[in-house]
This record gives sequence, structure tokens and C-alpha cells, in this order.
Amino acid sequence: MKAKILFFTSLVLVFLSCSSDNNLITDGDDGIDSSQVTNKWTIPIDEVFDGGPGKDGIPSIDSPVFLDADNVMVETYMSDDDLVIGIVKGDVVKAYPIRVLDWHEVVNDDVFGDKITISYCPLTGTAFGWESVVGDEFTEFGVSGLLYNTNLILYDRESGSYWSQLKLECVNGEFIGSIPKVVNIIETTWGLWKEMFPKTKILSDEQGFGRNYAEYPYGGYREDNSFLFFPVSKTDNAIPKKNRVHAIIQGRSAKVFEFRSFGEGKAIKSKFLSDTILIIGNQKMINSYVLEGQHSNLIFEYDFSTPEHYFKDNEGNKWNVLGVAVEGPREGEELKPTNSLMSYWFAIPAFFSNIQIFQN
Amino acid sequence: MLLLLVVFFSSEHVYSQTCCSGGVPLSNNIGLPILEKGIMQVGVSYDYNNLNTLKERGDKLNDRNRLRITHAVLVNLGYSITNNLSIEALLTWVNQQRRILTNNALSQSSGIGDAIFLARYKLLDKNNWNFSVGGGLKLPMGATDKKNDLGIVLNADLQPGSNALDVVFLTSVSKQFNFRKSLTFSSRLTYRETGVNNEYQKINKYKFGNETQFFVSVADQFLVFNQIFNSSLTFKYRHVLHDEINKGKISNTGGQWFFLRPSLSLEITENVRFSASLELPLYSKIEGVQLTPTYRFNVGASVQLFKSNRIQTLLSK
Repeated sequence: MKAKILFFTSLVLVFLSCSSDNNLITDGDDGIDSSQVTNKWTIPIDEVFDGGPGKDGIPSIDSPVFLDADNVMVETYMSDDDLVIGIVKGDVVKAYPIRVLDWHEVVNDDVFGDKITISYCPLTGTAFGWESVVGDEFTEFGVSGLLYNTNLILYDRESGSYWSQLKLECVNGEFIGSIPKVVNIIETTWGLWKEMFPKTKILSDEQGFGRNYAEYPYGGYREDNSFLFFPVSKTDNAIPKKNRVHAIIQGRSAKVFEFRSFGEGKAIKSKFLSDTILIIGNQKMINSYVLEGQHSNLIFEYDFSTPEHYFKDNEGNKWNVLGVAVEGPREGEELKPTNSLMSYWFAIPAFFSNIQIFQN
Repeated sequence: MLLLLVVFFSSEHVYSQTCCSGGVPLSNNIGLPILEKGIMQVGVSYDYNNLNTLKERGDKLNDRNRLRITHAVLVNLGYSITNNLSIEALLTWVNQQRRILTNNALSQSSGIGDAIFLARYKLLDKNNWNFSVGGGLKLPMGATDKKNDLGIVLNADLQPGSNALDVVFLTSVSKQFNFRKSLTFSSRLTYRETGVNNEYQKINKYKFGNETQFFVSVADQFLVFNQIFNSSLTFKYRHVLHDEINKGKISNTGGQWFFLRPSLSLEITENVRFSASLELPLYSKIEGVQLTPTYRFNVGASVQLFKSNRIQTLLSK
């Protein structure tokens, strides 16, 4: 019997020793010109992770369908407390519900004649709008299926280059080092948005993918401060990980504002690097503007008295959410929006090193 | 001694497996019959698993853009130490593919997958009833650091290995009938308590969901052109708990699946058998949104070695 057991064992060993176990993998056609994809990355490649679904496994919305805000169908999938990403360009006002973006992450849209890509990373809670351009060419962006610091990496369908959403940079490929041209977006609740912009259109829940947008696809992720799907390079426990914050950013620096600083509504004047900034917020929305020239001498006050009036100043001017004076001696003047974003707190120390947290 | 050799050898390979519906079909392919003392069984099969059905809970979504394919070569080895005690090994080689059909993006990995080593004991063999229990280990023999063409490590589901040691339990019961000896009803239950990969993404702990599978089969023989064919129809139930990272539940993993598996085998000689089976999903209720099996087939051959003349004589009567 010993001989037979030996034979049995030998068969096991022969199988194992004959099987190849190469560490490098063959990867086939991924739909883009491989000559344009280089091994050079501007971020540490060992901190880039495969999210699981694969390139375009999470489908971007490339032919978005919109409804008017007063369409009865909107009530079937939106409540007033649902978050939306809003954009205003010319006469066009659009809202992109987070509950739809959770499932698609990228919308390639045409806004008042401009091709705009709206991206949203459900894992970091960050949204950006940028022009759908690489080099001189219009392009669509898609979801690469890769993550850096647990944040979305997009890819452009023109060159196949990879773009880190929160780093706001092309991190690999033909356009490595390029910076997307960001357009101003506002994140707030649907109730507040449609109050401010009753003529807004909203992304429909019928986009042809059959997803159930009433369901959040990541379980208890939003509430669980101890749970991240992927590693981040740096963490900071100054604020609970999943608290949503408003961060004004420049280079590797960021200044962070929490909702609790604004109570029922407040205007805060602050400094960020060399800029004077105005931050207006309430429980549902925070916006920030750069104060330049005479605007820096004004004293601002939160005054959300009508949908058109978001704040006012000591000269009697009334300003809307876009930072435009709609009444008063400075009517027509505009405040420049800051480079800013809404984000889960944990993503800020992962991407920025010089961070100030505003204290009341 | 066998266990020592296996453990020693496995340390050179380290790591292995794959997730829920797309992984290496380990629990599907254990449970060789316990034969007469001294008989060795060797089986080689090819298993193809196609997942192209995207579902949310019990509903099919109108999205067939994702295709997940697992090719696996399975080697079963069994040896009956006594008439009631056998040892068994399941060794695997696997190629895992993930393809997005709209852009033809392909990610894949290949290599040795995890392996299972079992011991089984026949508790009852009387009045046409047969009852056995078994247990063993799934050893992490496959890689978990396979990369795509960009040099980025593929996610856990696409790796050949799990880097986790699992414990496997198996029990089976079968009944034959005097009025027709070839007719057999059988049932099998397998349970896999999965271990934890403590080196996932270098700093995280990943645990695939515990898996339970229950099979009920009816099998019979028939003669066609002087050839003995064995046919069976198996109903399979599979339950998998959600995967975990650092003990946090991973959404869109785990669920319940029901399958029907017709199979056919042909006895070429007394000792050699070819077999083929097809596995079709009947119903599934999964957690969140997942790609679930569309179909699977398995073809293979098995041989029994070291059959004594006495046994062969008995069998031939």
C-alpha cells in the first residue's frame, strides 16, 4: 500500500510542478491602441487598484435623457433631500442626481453647445465637471475600472489615457500630465436646486440600463466610517471619514469647511493661501468664491430670502448662488468661484498634504 | 506523510482562488466514490463557466456588456486506503477572463488554482444505503498577485488563488434499489468555511463568503449499441455569504443560486469512463447587482487503477 500512496503523492506533485505559475499575465486587446499606453504614471502604480467591473464595466451615460423639473415622473425617483450635481451655462440649467451617478459615475453631455463630462466617484463622494476635450479633440470619457486612493480614474476614448478625478490630472497615456479644464458645478439637494432653478432639467431615471436607482449600490458604505474598499495613502482622523466637507483646493493645498460651521446659514470670510475667500453655506449646500479687488472689502451676510437671493452685502447688493449680484449697486458683477469640491473627508488627506480645517 | 509532503510542497507556491460565481469550481468537483481497498481513481476534466447575465437580486438587467469566463482544468485523485476510508485531492489550473464587450477590453490571469485535500469515511454501506462523511482543507496554492497589462494587480475575483486556508466538510448519502440496481438516488452536502487573506492589497484582510452546496441526483444506466451509458440529473442549490474586507461587508457579493445539471458518461472499458455535464441556472437571488452564471459545461475522463483481479472478476459477473 505504501507504494500506491507514493504513486498517489507523485501524481499530485507532478501536476503541481508541471503547471506554469508565471506572475506576468497576458492581457489582450483592451480596445485602444496599445502604443499610446505607456508604463509611465504620475502616481505610484502600486497604489492603483483594479475595482472589479473592468473598463466600462460601469457604463457611462453617453446619450443622457433629461426631464423637466415639473414632470410628474421626477417625483417617482427623486425626493427633495436627494443630492444633485447642478450646472448652469447660458440658459441651460441641469441637475444630475447622485443616485443615478452612483451607478454610472460619468455622464458625457452637451450643455449649451459645450461638451461637458460630469464625473462622480461614489467611493470618495466627489464630483467634477470638465470639458470633454483631450488635446484639440473632443472626446468622451469612460469609467476605467481603476481606482487611485479609492477614487475614480477615468479614461478618455480618444487616446485611452487615464485621468485621476481628484488629482485632476492625466496620470498615464498620451496626455500624461495634462490638466482637464474644470467647469463650475454646484452640489446641493434636489429640493433646494429646483427652488433656485425651477426651469432646471434633471437627468431621467430611464437611461436604458435597467438599473434600479432607488437602490444605493454600495450597501452601508456611506455610513460606516471604518470601512473603505481600497487602501488610501494617508489618513487623518480629525474628522469622521465619511463626513461630507467642502474643500477649496490649489495644488497640494486644501482648506476644509464642515457643514456644522454654517448652522442654518452663514457667510464666512477667510484666507486661503494668498486669496481672500467667501464661503456661504447652510445645512444643505456650501459654496465658495474668491474675493478680488473691491469685493474683498465688502461685508457679506447669508440671506437666502428668495430663490434668487443667496447672500447680501453691506452695500445692499443681493447675490445669487452663482455669485452674481442680481440686485443693488453692483448688479451684474460676478464673484469668481473657487476651485473647490464636496468630498468625504478621508479623501482630502489622501490627495492633499497642506490641509487647513476651518475652525469656528 | 502525504499531508506533510503536500504542506511542504505548497509552501513554494503560496496563495490562490476566486470569488462567488466566477471562480474555480472546487466544491462542485469533490466527492469521488469510496471504492474497494487499494483502488486509485484519476480524473481529468475541463470546466467552462460562462457568466454573462447581470442581475439585481432576482431580476435580470438589460445589460450583457460584461462577460466573465473561467476555464479550469481539474485533476481529481482518489485512493481507497480501506474499503471504508479514502483520501482525495482536487488540483486545479485556471484561466480567468473578464471581457467588456462594447470595447473588447480583456483582463485575464492564468495559473494554478487552489487545491482541496480530503479524507472520507464510509459510515454505512448496508441494504443499498450508503452514507459517508468527509473533511479536509483547501490549500492556497494559486497566485493572488496577477497583474494586467498596465502592471496593476487584478482584483481578488480574477486571481487564481485566495491566499486563504479553507476548511471543507462533505457528507453524502445514496440509495440503490433491488428492483433496478443501476438506479441510484443520491444527495451531497458540502460546506466551505473560508479563511482570510491577510495580505490583500498588502494591508487589507479579504475573506470570500462561506459556501454551502447541496446536490440531489437521480442516476441510471442504459445500454446503447452495446455501450453502457450512465445518465444523471442533478438539482444543485448554492448559497454563498457576502465577501468581507476587514470584516466589512462587501456589497454585490453573495446570494443563492439554483441549478439543473444533466450529465452523461460512457464506460469505454470497465476502468475508463468519459463524462460530460451541462449546468444551467434555474433561479437566483443574489445580493445587489452581480454577474451570474449563464451556463457551464464540464467534460472529462476518469480511470480506476490497481483494481485487483478479484474485484474485476466480481464486477464482470
